[in-house]
Amino acid sequence: MGIYFFSLGMLFLGALLSIILKDESKKIKACSVCSVISTLFMLIPAIQVIKTAKHIETVFYTSPLLGYIDISIDALSAFFLIVISIMTSLGIIYANGYLKPYLNKGKNISAHCFFLMMLIASMIMVVTVQNALFFLIVWEIMSLSSFFLVIFEGEKKEVINAGLKYLVYMHISMIFILAAFIILNAHTNSLRFVNFVDYMQSPNAPANWVFLLAFIGFGIKAGFVPFHNWLPDAHPAAPSHVSAIMSGVMIKTGIYGILRFLLFIGTPSKLISYGVLAVAVVSALYGVLYAITQHDIKRLLAYHSIENIGIIGIGIGVGMLGMAYNNQFAAVFGFAGGMLHILNHSIFKELLFCAAGSVYLKTHTRNIELMGGLIKKMPFTALLFIIGSVAICGIPPFNGFISEFLIYAGMIKAVPAAGMKLFIVLIMAIAALAMVGTMAMLCFTKASGIMFLGNPRELDTENITDAPVSMIIPMSILAFLTFVIGMYSQYFISYASIPASMFTDGGNAVADLMFLYDFTGVISCCFMIFMGILLVLFIARYILGRGKKSEKYVTWGCGYNRANNHMQYTASSYADLFISTLKPLFKRVSHIKKPKELFPKEAYYEQEIEDIEEAYIVKPLLKLDEKFLTKFERIQNGNIQQYILFGLVFLILAIIGMVYFGG
Amino acid sequence: MTILFLNILILLIAPFFIIGIIKKTKAFWAGRKGVSIMQPLWDFIRLMKKGEVVSETTSWVFRYTPVIALASILFAAMFVPLITGKAIINIPFAFVIFSYVLGLGKFFSLLSALDTGSSFEGMGASREACFSTIVEPAFFITLASVAALSQNYSFESLKLILKNAGGYGYIIIALAVVTLFIMLLIECCRVPVDDPTTHLELTMIHEVMILDNSGIDLGLITWSAAIKMFIFEALIANLLIPLSWAWWISIPAFLVIICILSVIIGTVESSMARFRMTHVFEFIFLMSITALLILALVIYRIYGGG
Repeated sequence: MGIYFFSLGMLFLGALLSIILKDESKKIKACSVCSVISTLFMLIPAIQVIKTAKHIETVFYTSPLLGYIDISIDALSAFFLIVISIMTSLGIIYANGYLKPYLNKGKNISAHCFFLMMLIASMIMVVTVQNALFFLIVWEIMSLSSFFLVIFEGEKKEVINAGLKYLVYMHISMIFILAAFIILNAHTNSLRFVNFVDYMQSPNAPANWVFLLAFIGFGIKAGFVPFHNWLPDAHPAAPSHVSAIMSGVMIKTGIYGILRFLLFIGTPSKLISYGVLAVAVVSALYGVLYAITQHDIKRLLAYHSIENIGIIGIGIGVGMLGMAYNNQFAAVFGFAGGMLHILNHSIFKELLFCAAGSVYLKTHTRNIELMGGLIKKMPFTALLFIIGSVAICGIPPFNGFISEFLIYAGMIKAVPAAGMKLFIVLIMAIAALAMVGTMAMLCFTKASGIMFLGNPRELDTENITDAPVSMIIPMSILAFLTFVIGMYSQYFISYASIPASMFTDGGNAVADLMFLYDFTGVISCCFMIFMGILLVLFIARYILGRGKKSEKYVTWGCGYNRANNHMQYTASSYADLFISTLKPLFKRVSHIKKPKELFPKEAYYEQEIEDIEEAYIVKPLLKLDEKFLTKFERIQNGNIQQYILFGLVFLILAIIGMVYFGG
Repeated sequence: MTILFLNILILLIAPFFIIGIIKKTKAFWAGRKGVSIMQPLWDFIRLMKKGEVVSETTSWVFRYTPVIALASILFAAMFVPLITGKAIINIPFAFVIFSYVLGLGKFFSLLSALDTGSSFEGMGASREACFSTIVEPAFFITLASVAALSQNYSFESLKLILKNAGGYGYIIIALAVVTLFIMLLIECCRVPVDDPTTHLELTMIHEVMILDNSGIDLGLITWSAAIKMFIFEALIANLLIPLSWAWWISIPAFLVIICILSVIIGTVESSMARFRMTHVFEFIFLMSITALLILALVIYRIYGGG
């Protein structure tokens, strides 16, 4: 436990250094060093907990009012600690390169570095603190520090707007989490998680309601549909390393919260299990559908986070159904698949955000329609982005496949086990997951194909060079991880399956766990065969092609020889066939300026696709809210004396209320 | 060992003859004599000896795609029971791996089409990507239903339908044959979805994606397309050959079914034109309908009617 506090201390040291150091450029370096040291030390207790399957904890006694504070690392916390510490330190190393142009412009980054370290420290505490009050405090620190990170380029209006939207969403989330904890606290008269477990597993506990509140609260953080709306705005606004950390790691703390509440309630009821699965399936489909329509690369990736959160949710939902129906196979495979997907998604999503950030840094645009042909100027970034794309589509032999495959396996085997309802639901979920996979493929062939391949479209790519080494190295480590976890999943599966076995019925699930280990071994043998085939074919191709004539010529234009770069297929045209097939699901907004007058000068046509959830649910609600709140406009008159009077009136009312109800 | 050897042998050789049989059938319906059945093999060997022209727009993606695609298709084939009725790698949930491995090849062929910077090839890629979003769910529904019916999760479940479903088995098999046949026509880009012999690039799907490939690469791509067709024909053959048949019936039966299916594909191509692009979707949705019918029948078999 001492190591844990030491590495937490390193993070605070980094935060401190970023304030007291004088030289701007040294700040982020100091933070990276602290973060890497912290990561190395944090891995020791985390791996130890997973390997020995015993949790470690310390309990502080504070005061009669606050009671005990438990800080404990169980398998679930250890898993999240591994994800958080590795991914954030890689993100910060990447930030060294990413912030350089801003430093050269003379921007002050001390606040940014400070909040970066605070974000990491608070995330680590969120997954280890086992006391409701302190959980809420560190949760709030996490939300606030990430808010300050999002508004790094606060001089831009859209950045501030996105940041505020994020802040509002996070506090709505806070209300629900708070409500869930208040219910628990009122019934147990305690703030310790251990006591919540005892209460929630007693027969009369309102398990479904508490779980529902927690699910909404944490679901907003995680980005489940229909609470996802902050994601596609916040990620493009934030600097790339922050998007990477937020999308790769921070939204997973929402999943952590849901899983922690699941541990409170023990065996979930069938109703909420179906509910979680349904929300997850909708999120996965919705996320990828809207990702296809986006041409802003970071918005596209943000929608993909929603999709992947959906896939993680499907895993958890299948696991919950497995528990509810006492089908241990589904429980083991569902939870293990979902857990592994948390790790996998944080790896490839961070890789993709970093690669997209490198492109943004060099081209100064996020609009993929303008790009093209960047693979010749940025070969490493292109390769890394393509690896990330393959991994996120769940294509073997990369890591995305393994976790999706485990979820599939859980669903397929659970299908005939119980009842017609479960049968239909699971088959539909399988079909949905298959559809999500192929749509992701459409989306990422679009993104990487239009960005990196072909010829440059609008952009002048003359002076573009590849990203600096300090950005390439962390991305290469991530790309290597996607490959290694995909190829040799049997060595990594225990990091997901041991936390997963906290949820399953220990004794009965042993056989299924053993099958899981064996099976991942079989899969990686298969992939070795595949690599063998690939190698043999490459050698054969090389030998066959040796000494043969290979000419360079322009692309065949089907008889038309005046083709130019503007005639290439664009991102919109690539996605159009699909979008027009599913027309009713999208709201198209067109901005047209028609050519007028005899000699028309200026005309344009622009089309964008609006999020239907935002257009039909959020906006009308906001309008209603505004209508109601304008009634109180008179109160806000800028007169401070009156404000003090309001305060006084409120206090008196509060005292009366306390006397009346408290007695 | 013989099983492995036989499977690999048929996997590498049979695809050429399938294309040959289809060409011969088309020639028969057109009243021509047609080329020899061996011709696709000679074409392949000829292409292997040729030099190539590469577009200067392209990158390593274009260069390596034919090999990656071929490797992914050969690897996917290992999960499918071929001539001996046994797959080379027989593991549970094989159909998931099968279709995701095919996805690897598809991913890179889509990228390779975009790599040339040609508007035509982008169009083909867009269509291919779009169609597969509708094909895959139907395939998964079919296979998952069949697996649930027979409680066997490898591709062997296709062979166990009759044993587990009794009288309904015949209907399920018929529907599954239709589903997989439609999938074959879509995935392998045959008439009425795509016309491999058309001369108008605007209406092509798969053929337009490989406009810029030449020489050895073109040879590898045509070969892998043929292997893909063979795999899907083998899947259909598995539906029709139960597990209980002895090898001396099942091996000839397999070969006969493959030949008959190739003749049917040739006949379909001779007897109808390809659909307009808007009607292709209706055709693909037909596959979803048959898949859902299979699901309904399986549910009825397990839970309804006793």
